[in-house]
Amino acid sequence: MAIEKIALVNIVGLLEELDDTLLKCCESGCFHIEPAVKASQGGGNSSGGLRLLNEKNPYGEALKKYSQLAANFDIKLKETPGADKSPEDYIKLADEIEQESAELSKRRQSCSQAISELESAVLQINHLKGLDSDFKRIFSCRHVTSRVGKLPADNLPKLDYYNENFFFVPFETGRDVCWGMYFCPTSEKGLVDDIFRSMYFERIHIPDYVTGTTEEALASLDAHIKENKAELERCEGQIKELVKKRGQDIQQGFTVLKRLHDIFDLRRKVGASKDKFYMKGFIPEKKSDEFEKLFADMRSVSVVFMPPDADASCTPPTILKNSWLTRPFGMMVEMYGLPKYNGFNPTSFVAVTYTLLFGIMFGDLGQGLLVFLGGLLLGKKLGKAGGMVTRVGLSSMIFGTLYGSFFGYEELLDPVFENLEIDFLPLKIFKQTNFILLTAVGIGIALILMSMLINIYIGFKEKDYEKAVFGCNGIAGLIFYSSVVTGVVGTMILDIEIMSPPFVIFLIVIPAVCIFCRVPFAAAVKYKEWRLSEDEEKMTVGNFIVENFFEMFEYVLSYVSNTMSFLRVGGFVLSHAGMMLVVMTLMDMCSAAAQPFVLVLGNAFVMVMEGMIVAIQIIRLEFYEVFSRFYEGDGKPFEPVGVSFSTQVE
Amino acid sequence: MLEGYSTNATAAKIRAIHGNMFTADNYRELMSRRSVPEAAEYLARSARFKDVFREVDPNTVHRGFLEELLHRQNFNTYIRLCGFQGLDKLPFYDFLIRKREVECILSIINSINSSLENPSPSDIPGYVIKHSQIDLLEISRAESFSDLLKMLRGTSYYKTLVKVPLREDGSADYTECELRLRNEYFSEVLRQVRDGFPKAEAKELTDMILAEIDGRNIINAYRMKAFFGFSPEEIMRRSLKFTKLGKKRMEKFYQSETAAQMLEWIDRSVLGVNSADTDNIEVKINRVKARRLSSKIARSSSTPVIMYAFIQLCDIEVGNIVHIIEGIRYGADPALIQSQLVIS
Repeated sequence: MAIEKIALVNIVGLLEELDDTLLKCCESGCFHIEPAVKASQGGGNSSGGLRLLNEKNPYGEALKKYSQLAANFDIKLKETPGADKSPEDYIKLADEIEQESAELSKRRQSCSQAISELESAVLQINHLKGLDSDFKRIFSCRHVTSRVGKLPADNLPKLDYYNENFFFVPFETGRDVCWGMYFCPTSEKGLVDDIFRSMYFERIHIPDYVTGTTEEALASLDAHIKENKAELERCEGQIKELVKKRGQDIQQGFTVLKRLHDIFDLRRKVGASKDKFYMKGFIPEKKSDEFEKLFADMRSVSVVFMPPDADASCTPPTILKNSWLTRPFGMMVEMYGLPKYNGFNPTSFVAVTYTLLFGIMFGDLGQGLLVFLGGLLLGKKLGKAGGMVTRVGLSSMIFGTLYGSFFGYEELLDPVFENLEIDFLPLKIFKQTNFILLTAVGIGIALILMSMLINIYIGFKEKDYEKAVFGCNGIAGLIFYSSVVTGVVGTMILDIEIMSPPFVIFLIVIPAVCIFCRVPFAAAVKYKEWRLSEDEEKMTVGNFIVENFFEMFEYVLSYVSNTMSFLRVGGFVLSHAGMMLVVMTLMDMCSAAAQPFVLVLGNAFVMVMEGMIVAIQIIRLEFYEVFSRFYEGDGKPFEPVGVSFSTQVE
Repeated sequence: MLEGYSTNATAAKIRAIHGNMFTADNYRELMSRRSVPEAAEYLARSARFKDVFREVDPNTVHRGFLEELLHRQNFNTYIRLCGFQGLDKLPFYDFLIRKREVECILSIINSINSSLENPSPSDIPGYVIKHSQIDLLEISRAESFSDLLKMLRGTSYYKTLVKVPLREDGSADYTECELRLRNEYFSEVLRQVRDGFPKAEAKELTDMILAEIDGRNIINAYRMKAFFGFSPEEIMRRSLKFTKLGKKRMEKFYQSETAAQMLEWIDRSVLGVNSADTDNIEVKINRVKARRLSSKIARSSSTPVIMYAFIQLCDIEVGNIVHIIEGIRYGADPALIQSQLVIS
């Protein structure tokens, strides 16, 4: 599959029709706007005769009020149709509701604040429970000063070593601090305060409204808290009534103003010259006619379509064009980064390889069926992920049939194959371990070679000869890698003497030299001159050799490690079968009554854990082993303009 | 054999705590705080110090108390580590308690010499009191040096201090007391190392302690030369008597004509290998030291070596944090604060 063709659209019209034009662009749902004036084109407020329309958004303030009201009244804002007032009326309405609610909000806030203060006073007084005298009496002493607070527990023994005229009454001693109170003659309070300060005594100020003994103070505080809570409840009740009365107005006001606000915000991307506006953007080419018709009834607006690369100042965005079969896997490509416009869309490749690898690694007819059904059922909730799940579930079923595995029963399908007289099936995993592991590596080699071929195709398409011919993933890399693989397989597995001197020289050494000298070779083809580096920087022969020696070393290492990485495909086949064997063994150890539970729980556990691990491992293989060879993901997403109903207003 | 094996758990524990110690990134984050309460809040939320801030409100904590909390955390960690496998029963492992005792005695001598009217138990760190072999609070009430000696009678410190010549007014020279107390402390620690551990382990530990002494001597010598203009003989007399580098080499440093020349010689010596490009002698010497200590913790197989290195690193870490807090308090430029930090 490819990338959707898009067209560059220039829209010009009179400023008086700008808002309607922007509204129609939003309603079209397929217009990706680009700034008419780019900062790089001159910055400031004007460029090339165009000025920027960056006026203050007139709906911002009212919208903030609606957001604030919704937050105060715990209203979840959502798009609500049926507005019967003009935008101006809704702006006035925001002020009215705000005034109505202001007093209630103030009362509620002051109650909450009072409760919080009282509760923190309770926390402090709780530490002074040992005190059985009246606070008021203590603090009103004329000749004795007292201080309440906490002292680091380490410093408590030090108090006995002072000769000054004071005494400390501990109320509660924890591991680190001791809550208490010290008394001293008022005439000596300066000195005693200094002593306690030097021991890091942290003084607590008891609020004025705390009177009586600790118990009395706590009881009084409790009564105050209850009183405030009752008042708070009354406020909440009144607020609820107001919400009931005004809730619909707030929702509709927000909907109307948010639409206008977001459309007005788009004006920042529009350029103006005298009484005319100019805007540009991209739309899918197939929607050109439909889009043009939207503006047919507008007197001054004209729409002009151009090729996407007509304006060098903006990069065309990318829309992946996938068939229904591969569409869900577009999610993975988006996760890595979209291809650039006119680039290569790898979704189909990912769809095929991901489905295949999942089936191989998680092959079980029964579990695959459940995964498939799960994907179908949760498809609407999971979106694209649901589509992926159904497809990999099918693949799992197919490979489960080949392995003869059904919810861990490895012999259940044997009679079917016997009746069909297919001798080589089902594959008995534990009896064909070597075959499975070698096949896994074989699949890896095939995928790496395919990635290289795609890279060569992209390289030629972009006329990048270093990438297509001389690079480690170009023709030279392809020959080098496939020759080494053929040599190793021939010599070590098939026992064929294939590594003859011409084979080594032409298919291994020469491609290796090409990779080593890819930069000068590519420069020779491109610029018809000999240079050691692409960007004309001075590079000595010594530097060139050292740099490329290490890069060559890294390439060879990556060929080996990437190939071996696919061993995990075989590893997971074995691990899946192994885990199911454990479930079966546990089931055999249990009583007949418990066996169904063990079977269900064991299968559920394996499906969830193994399923997730396999899914993650394949993503890893795709991104690291495959994508890294040809894919760059530096495209720009296609983002059509529209109204978002988020409560955040700038 | 069994003992050596059994202390591996302590070594592993120390390495785990070492992994939680502040890194350059943590210091940078701390430096980005704009006030002392914000810095305290950051420390209170860090895995390294959150325990000690459990009952403390970072918004109201006094700066001095904040420093004490950091020291307390390290001291408590040391006590816990020593108690973990009963190491506190071995003579060497009380080195930090004795070091703190020496510091307390010196602080008391300083108070006496300053003719402070009131005794100052508040200067004695509370967390040391219950672990100390001497009654620190009682001796903090001493009003004169002879009072102090009377109170210290029967302890090893008495023998050390009784030899200090008294001035006419009955006070003792602080520097002399410090020199004698520290010499005695290191002498005792080195003796315990020699007698208490196998040869190879004792050598590793001795080398580390002697390197610490060399660093201390060099820093003091530089200060004496740069700020007080002391003669090489005077510097030599006021230096600790132990050295790893060798007496001759140390004397060569002392005999340098200027402080700048001394700094240049340090750069060329083993003390200055890969040292920081700075004129601040403490930063220069201690960065090399911190690197050496971190390497000891990572590579050594001896628990006492790891423990001793760890405690020194803890002191360096607290020093850095205190430095940053001071910087924040006085609104110093973060780049300047950073240049003064000892980071391995």
